[in-house]
Amino acid sequence: MDELRKGFHNDLDEARAELVRLAASVTEAIPRATAVLLDGDLEGADYMIQGDDEIDARSLDLEERCYRILALQAPVASDLRQVVALLKMIADVERSADLVCNICKAARRIYGHDLDPKLRGIISRMGEQAQQLYTAAIESFVENDAAKAAAIDDMDSYLDDLQKQFVQAIFESHAAGRIDLQVAVQLAVVARFYERIGDHAVNVGERVRFVITGWLPEHHGAQRYRLRADDTGEMPRIGTVQDGDGTP
Amino acid sequence: MTFRRRRIPVVPESERDEARQQIARLQAEILRLRRALDALPIGVVLADRSGETLVENVAARTYHGHAAVLVNEAVERHLRRAINGVASGHNVEFIGPPRTVLAVQATPLEDGGALVTVDDVSERARLDAIRTDFVANISHELKTPVGALAVLAEALAEIDDPAATRRLADKMVGEAHRAARTIDDLLELSRTELGGAAAKDVVSVAQVVDDAVERARAAAEQHTIIVTVDNGPGDLHVIGSHRQLVSAVANLLENAVKYSDTGSSVLVESRRDNGCVEIVVTDTGVGIPARDIDRIFERFYRVDRARSRDTGGTGLGLSIVRHVATNHGGEVTVHSREGEGSVFTMRLPAGES
Repeated sequence: MDELRKGFHNDLDEARAELVRLAASVTEAIPRATAVLLDGDLEGADYMIQGDDEIDARSLDLEERCYRILALQAPVASDLRQVVALLKMIADVERSADLVCNICKAARRIYGHDLDPKLRGIISRMGEQAQQLYTAAIESFVENDAAKAAAIDDMDSYLDDLQKQFVQAIFESHAAGRIDLQVAVQLAVVARFYERIGDHAVNVGERVRFVITGWLPEHHGAQRYRLRADDTGEMPRIGTVQDGDGTP
Repeated sequence: MTFRRRRIPVVPESERDEARQQIARLQAEILRLRRALDALPIGVVLADRSGETLVENVAARTYHGHAAVLVNEAVERHLRRAINGVASGHNVEFIGPPRTVLAVQATPLEDGGALVTVDDVSERARLDAIRTDFVANISHELKTPVGALAVLAEALAEIDDPAATRRLADKMVGEAHRAARTIDDLLELSRTELGGAAAKDVVSVAQVVDDAVERARAAAEQHTIIVTVDNGPGDLHVIGSHRQLVSAVANLLENAVKYSDTGSSVLVESRRDNGCVEIVVTDTGVGIPARDIDRIFERFYRVDRARSRDTGGTGLGLSIVRHVATNHGGEVTVHSREGEGSVFTMRLPAGES
């Protein structure tokens, strides 16, 4: 390998390693946020919220580094896929860290309210599942394992189920008068945060598959939209549906 | 370019042998040192002045998943500072479970390199927490009834109304019983702690379970909780003390009943598993929060201290269970999820049937 390429691969390896470190921080932050929420730990919440600034700063640095690689090295083929995927993954990891932060903020808002054991149990399950998704996402990335990356999607459906169960349990708890409306709404939002973290892990997994195989997730919606195009290649406009002109 | 033939000095065979032996000795020495490093429970990373890792022992490589990434990050950060001549370090914490605290410490070396150690101090941190909490908890358990007695007695001295006197006296009796229960349990605990498994009787597990269920019957009936027993086929036996074992299983059952909803059921099973006997108590009650699960076997540890007076008990039940299990060469473990229930498993070495 000539000197120039060696430099490129060092840069790329270092960028990959930094993404893994950021994702590892998020993986550890998920159960911590769950503990903050369940224990009503205000001090811990502040600590976590402040810690997010570091992740933001490091994500920006890493993004900058990727742009520099693109501009100076002009990578092609799988190397290009690596850098493009990294850029996308940085956004996912950074956003997940924000969501973890949001869980801590919600912990502050529901501070002092007792939750049913059932609600607490499902929260701890959602936290564990979100962490497992993230662990699998990093592992698939580090090991370049497309099969493991593909499995993350299935793991995510369990997290989605938990979120549905949790919303049901919130209704029950609220109906029984054990939590007020404000807490109920906050909790519903918390469930959404966990569910979103899971979705970001799924995105990371999809990017890993893209890097390894060049496969892109089937963009169902986009495909449907294209199929609806008429012979002239004209896309039907949303407004025309209401005219009742037979558009599905 | 011309090659001039260089005369290679002839080394006598005896010297060559000596050199070979010396190399072999040094290699053996290096191997021995490596093995010694690998046997250390502390993670050791040695790097030269350019930051290149020279040695990394087994303990430094035991971490998996995101923990490994974060440990490496800390090691590299402190390594860089130590290579610049500044000793540095900090504690890396993982919430687990199990909760883990790793002390990462880097020291500059004379040759410009650095040495980093990764020491698992979780157990030390845990013991510190136990020690601090123990004093607070024991004074809470003992002082509360005594304080209540003093206040009640003062009130009694100033009141003439016979009905009120009666009520106060009843309350005093209740508080006195509470203090007595705590002291009884403390004595029971120190007996189990000190005495070991004094008895070496052949104890029938089914008999232990039945007697324990009998002890918990009143509490179960009060909460209309059905206790189901499944002792499986055949008789199981363990070696030890019938009294201690009944006390342990009864404690588990009383807890299961106490933290279950009215009308639910509690299951006690005993079974043989690989030369061991397992006694399993399963409930579908409130469950145990994740952060408390490692600590519930400590003396006087309370998940919810504010509510401990409503649920009664002395805060010693699970410590007694753990000591009985240890005395019998076994262990007690718990799996629990809040809102779903708890499963306590006591594993004891099986005695001959």
